[in-house]
Amino acid sequence: MSNKNPKAQYFTGVRAGIPVILGFVPVGIAYAIMARQAGFSAFETVFMSIAVFAGASQMMAVGMYVQGASIIAMILATFILNLRHLIMSTCVVNRMKNEPTKRKLLATFGVTDESFAIFTTEKKENCSGLYFLGLITVTYSSWIAGSAIGAIASDFLPAIVTASLGIALYAMFIGILIPNLTHNLKLGLLVVLTAVCNSILTQLMASSWALILSTLVCAAIGVFFVDLDGQEVADDEH
Amino acid sequence: MNTNILILILGMAIVTYIPRAMPAVLIDKMKFTPKAEKFLRLIPYTAMAALIFPGVFSVDSARLEIGIVGGTVAGVLAWKKLPVMVCVLAAIAADFILYLVI
Repeated sequence: MSNKNPKAQYFTGVRAGIPVILGFVPVGIAYAIMARQAGFSAFETVFMSIAVFAGASQMMAVGMYVQGASIIAMILATFILNLRHLIMSTCVVNRMKNEPTKRKLLATFGVTDESFAIFTTEKKENCSGLYFLGLITVTYSSWIAGSAIGAIASDFLPAIVTASLGIALYAMFIGILIPNLTHNLKLGLLVVLTAVCNSILTQLMASSWALILSTLVCAAIGVFFVDLDGQEVADDEH
Repeated sequence: MNTNILILILGMAIVTYIPRAMPAVLIDKMKFTPKAEKFLRLIPYTAMAALIFPGVFSVDSARLEIGIVGGTVAGVLAWKKLPVMVCVLAAIAADFILYLVI
């Protein structure tokens, strides 16, 4: 656990979250534009982001709504798509083990692909519940801000701008992942294996299941050949 | 507010929060062996790999090169250990130019 004072822990998390703004605001805008076109009011569009805070499933639900899907079907699809958070949240909470349950319950609301990726690759001595709360303060508010901007400005943004923003989330994952691989060949190999595995599985089943399956199976394979000792020491960046 | 949409949003909020919150309540009852601990530590890397591939290729389903160019720009800068923010901005700029030019 971190030995820095509470305020410093919180703001270290806030700083780590800043790159996510660039990923979340554009995607929030894209989601909101989809929702408005589907017939959601501006308020409903933003309220969904406040209450759910899970981009991919919000976009999926809006897409299903347009096709006339039942409410049960949309909620069930959301549940399946977001089951991956169970694994991610386990990893996150594992790094703030001896902290109050109330804090953990608050923090886990903000477990997303991005906050999970940043927190679990952070140096261990920086990790704490307060760091994570700082991190998700930034991610949550930029998600809501992006949705609000999109809900209001959906008619004015040029298509070329919204299209160029599509790469933002991927660029962010790449930016977090690659620096961890430069001095760990076996970890790099595992990443390539997972990429191939998921690309194949995506052809065979729904992509949310493919994601869960390839993440778990490849991590299990990695246990037998990847060496993680000294990994965090070597991560002098971020 | 439309009642159906309200029910939809609240339902989605509940089924999304439950998997997120469960570990917060249960973690203290779990003990991990070194192998299980290692498994948990590897998940971020495999999850990110799966989040990137093959999704990055269909950023623009009509134009494969949008994902490839943006992803490559981010990858090269990340390899040179530039901050995540720089990778993201450069990738967006590269794709923006690509849309402008072609």
